[in-house]
Amino acid sequence: MINRKQFLALFFSLIITIFLRPTLFASTTSENSFIPPPVFSSENHPCSDCHEDMEPNTQRRQLEENHSDIVIQGHGEPERWCLDCHDATDRNKLILLNGEKVEFLASYKLCQQCHGAIFKAWEPGIHGKRVGRWDGPKKIYLCVS
Amino acid sequence: MKQLTRRSFLKASSAGLGGTVLGGCSEGFDWATYFQDRFEEMSPEEVQKTLKRLEKYYSNKYKTKITVKGTPSKENTVFGYALDLSRCVGCRRCVYACVDENNISRDVQIHYIRVLKMKDGDMNLEESDHYYNPDKVPEDDSYYMPVQCQQCDNPPCVKVCPVKATWKDPDGVVVVDYNRCIGCRDCMASCPYRARKFNWREPEIPEDKLNTETHYLGNRPRYRGVVEKCHFCLQRTREGRYPACVEICPAGARKFGNLLDPESEIRLVLENFRTFRLKEELNTQPKFFYFFSLG
Amino acid sequence: MTEQTAQVGELRYFLGNLFSVLFKGGRLYYAWLAGLSCLLVVGFISFIPQVRDGLAITNMREQVSWGFYISNFCFLVGVAAAAVLLVIPAYIYHFKAIKKIVAFGELLAITAVIMAITFVMVDTGRPDRFWHAFPILGSLNLPRSILGWDIVVLNGYLIINLIAVTYMATTTYFGKEPNKRLIMPLILLSIPWAIMLHSVTAFVFNGLAARPFWNASILAPRFLASAFCAGPSLMILVFQILRKVTKFEIRDSAIFKLAEIISYAMAINLFLLVAEVYKEYYSDTHHFAPMIYLFFGLHEHNNLVPWIWSAMVFNVIGFLLFLIPKTRKNFVTLNIGCVLLFVGIWIEKGMGLVIPGFIPDPLGEIYEYMPSQNEVLVAIGIYAFGAILYTMLARVLIAIDTGILRYRSAPPLVIDYDDGVVAQDIMSKGVLTVTPEATIDDIRSILVGNRISGVPVVDGENKIVGVVSETDMVFSLMHQDLELYEKFKSVMVPRERQRGGKLGKTAAEIMSSPAITARENTPLMELTEIITSRKISRIVIVDSQEHPVGVVSQIDIVKSQGLSPAPMQPEINYTI
Repeated sequence: MINRKQFLALFFSLIITIFLRPTLFASTTSENSFIPPPVFSSENHPCSDCHEDMEPNTQRRQLEENHSDIVIQGHGEPERWCLDCHDATDRNKLILLNGEKVEFLASYKLCQQCHGAIFKAWEPGIHGKRVGRWDGPKKIYLCVS
Repeated sequence: MKQLTRRSFLKASSAGLGGTVLGGCSEGFDWATYFQDRFEEMSPEEVQKTLKRLEKYYSNKYKTKITVKGTPSKENTVFGYALDLSRCVGCRRCVYACVDENNISRDVQIHYIRVLKMKDGDMNLEESDHYYNPDKVPEDDSYYMPVQCQQCDNPPCVKVCPVKATWKDPDGVVVVDYNRCIGCRDCMASCPYRARKFNWREPEIPEDKLNTETHYLGNRPRYRGVVEKCHFCLQRTREGRYPACVEICPAGARKFGNLLDPESEIRLVLENFRTFRLKEELNTQPKFFYFFSLG
Repeated sequence: MTEQTAQVGELRYFLGNLFSVLFKGGRLYYAWLAGLSCLLVVGFISFIPQVRDGLAITNMREQVSWGFYISNFCFLVGVAAAAVLLVIPAYIYHFKAIKKIVAFGELLAITAVIMAITFVMVDTGRPDRFWHAFPILGSLNLPRSILGWDIVVLNGYLIINLIAVTYMATTTYFGKEPNKRLIMPLILLSIPWAIMLHSVTAFVFNGLAARPFWNASILAPRFLASAFCAGPSLMILVFQILRKVTKFEIRDSAIFKLAEIISYAMAINLFLLVAEVYKEYYSDTHHFAPMIYLFFGLHEHNNLVPWIWSAMVFNVIGFLLFLIPKTRKNFVTLNIGCVLLFVGIWIEKGMGLVIPGFIPDPLGEIYEYMPSQNEVLVAIGIYAFGAILYTMLARVLIAIDTGILRYRSAPPLVIDYDDGVVAQDIMSKGVLTVTPEATIDDIRSILVGNRISGVPVVDGENKIVGVVSETDMVFSLMHQDLELYEKFKSVMVPRERQRGGKLGKTAAEIMSSPAITARENTPLMELTEIITSRKISRIVIVDSQEHPVGVVSQIDIVKSQGLSPAPMQPEINYTI
């Protein structure tokens, strides 16, 4: 017959199996895949930490005190500046051309506005990098990662 | 049954002869391993016994716990691979990730992947540079074409093998049974992609670099004098994971998936891009596709 | 019990004799064995690091994965064809002079095949797993793997020749008649088998689409043609050594027959080579690259260029020496030709065939291969091993054939030279000759006065330059009526004799020249063949300086048969 140790082992493995089932046996891509959050995002380093108390200045200008190291080299530099993509009032959000606010994690929506073809390839995984399971959950890299 | 009698007969008949020839081998000689059947033909019990035996052997040899799996092909799965030539920057990260993942010999250096630097506007392999070494890649006027085992559907290497030591598994991966290979190297001569590699010397794997999760037909440490090759990281892909080269690629140029699944990344590549295969005129029918996602 | 003791005694007797046959000899024999053993030991010592460290000590690499070993394998498979080139004239055309020496060709084939197998063994990464390639016991990949077939065919050829030689040798040892019905099928089987052996070995290379240099359908015919040159060339040399250092007799006619066959084979070989070079050169695709590498060097890489051109020069000179009857029948030039062809084909069909197949490699890289010192020494060791093996086998065979090694209670050996009657035995000696200046009248008086039908013409050194026959005389007398002459010439004179029948007044003008001659030791069979095939009535027998020493006419041949009278039958056969 089964002894105590074996019973416990069986019991726990059953619990773990039930608990982990979706990840172990997942066969569809999207449900359990995840996009690793960028360094500055609403979760791990919200911009609002600093910007909350600051008055938004929508005047296009050369930044001098902070973020002066950021250059939009080769990405429509003369035409574009910070607030084309970052929401002026809610600093933890990005803003699309139609005024819709999106999370940092969905930055691809921002890119998609111009790079539609690439987005179409990225969405199913033809463009860009993915790590994890070819038949299951995977880590999907953003354009910015 | 037939195999059992065959083995016992062999054991009895050549014990004397083989014993004298091989008695001098340094790492304890094991009859069971010497008279082992082809992996493809083993019964499930034999497979388990063999894997256990090998685990013991490797763990002794490398002084660390090594697991050897024998995971068979998944049902309804045929692996395919696609490589985006317009994305590859020639950094050779894949080459070395593969070496680490697959316990490949460092000294004699073996690489499953060779990255060829090609001149823009030229597809002639003879003009390619295998040993480019600039400060920074990519360089101007060139593009890069990594070549590895193309996992042919009509593999010339399999048919030339005189001892059936290499075959195409149901998931389409051409594998080598390192315990059955006699090292004649006919498969190397027959491969149009230079995908097959030979252990000219006892493979050297630094202790701290050993990958202890292995597969019988995949990355378990090889012996001296046998042929090995890219196997799409069987130890990972048969567990559902991406191959190491796919995961390391910083440019996301490498795509992998199940050719039988219409939703898979590989199928989407085939449907959305014009692809080509190397040396298609040889009718090897590779399951490794090249494409250009950018014009 | 006593029977058993007797058998043990016989065995001991045999072994004792065998030992003295193998290990007792002159100073030269010991020197030969000692020299070869040294090379064998050197080869063996050079092989040790390979066993210890693996094939990394060779210069073979991923790009050029077969090298010197496989090149020699390839060449030696060709040498093994030697046997069959003796079997064909001996058993298909019943050329007796060759029949006696077939066994030595078979021994050479056995030795060559064993050496070839040894080369494969030292080339494989895991020779300890050789049993995987056994049929049934291992997992031989038939019918798909051509290398698998090659293993079968190679060992089959070895076994066929081993059985044939062993059977013939044992029956001779025991003084029994060989059972023709047992041995003939085997000997005949060896002919298609040899062709199979070469084709299959060629197919091993030929079938690889990845290597355009080998992927030419002409490869198998080329293998065969060159095999029929290299093996017999070696055999001609070996035979001359054998007859010099042993009492065993080997006739010139056998050697010349071989040389003749070599000249045909070499012509075909060169033609096939030209055909292949032409195809690649004129179509000028990427597949031409290996050939450019071989003959001219590719991108400054030209290691093989001097080798292949030496081979080409050797082959062409060798071929010419074999083609021209005068140099083919002169032992000095013949031997030079043999060495040139042997070395030429060794390069062309060894390194010249195997290495360019890998250069450039399938990904376009060029790795220049030259064998490492170890590879060369191991190869030398294997050749030395082959030489020792052949020496010993040949010694045993000769001892058996000459009765030195013989079963005690076997009937005494009748040394059957097989030729039976030779020219010397039946020729009319004291041959009359005339000088080239002799007039028709002189000749007529000699012919009529001696009741002979022809007379040899000799020069100042008594060397034969031609023959004047009755027919020549008849024609010479027709010079007054040219119309009649032409008519007679076309009607009566066989085509073969049109070199004679000339108009003129002196022996030099009317003689048939060059004279058809034979040596004193030519067997009767051959004489008959010459007389009937050349449609002549007599053949002048000459010594080694071409001095006429006798004449064999048709009637001499008939007389030599010593016919017994046909039995007289009663007119009516009464039966009750």
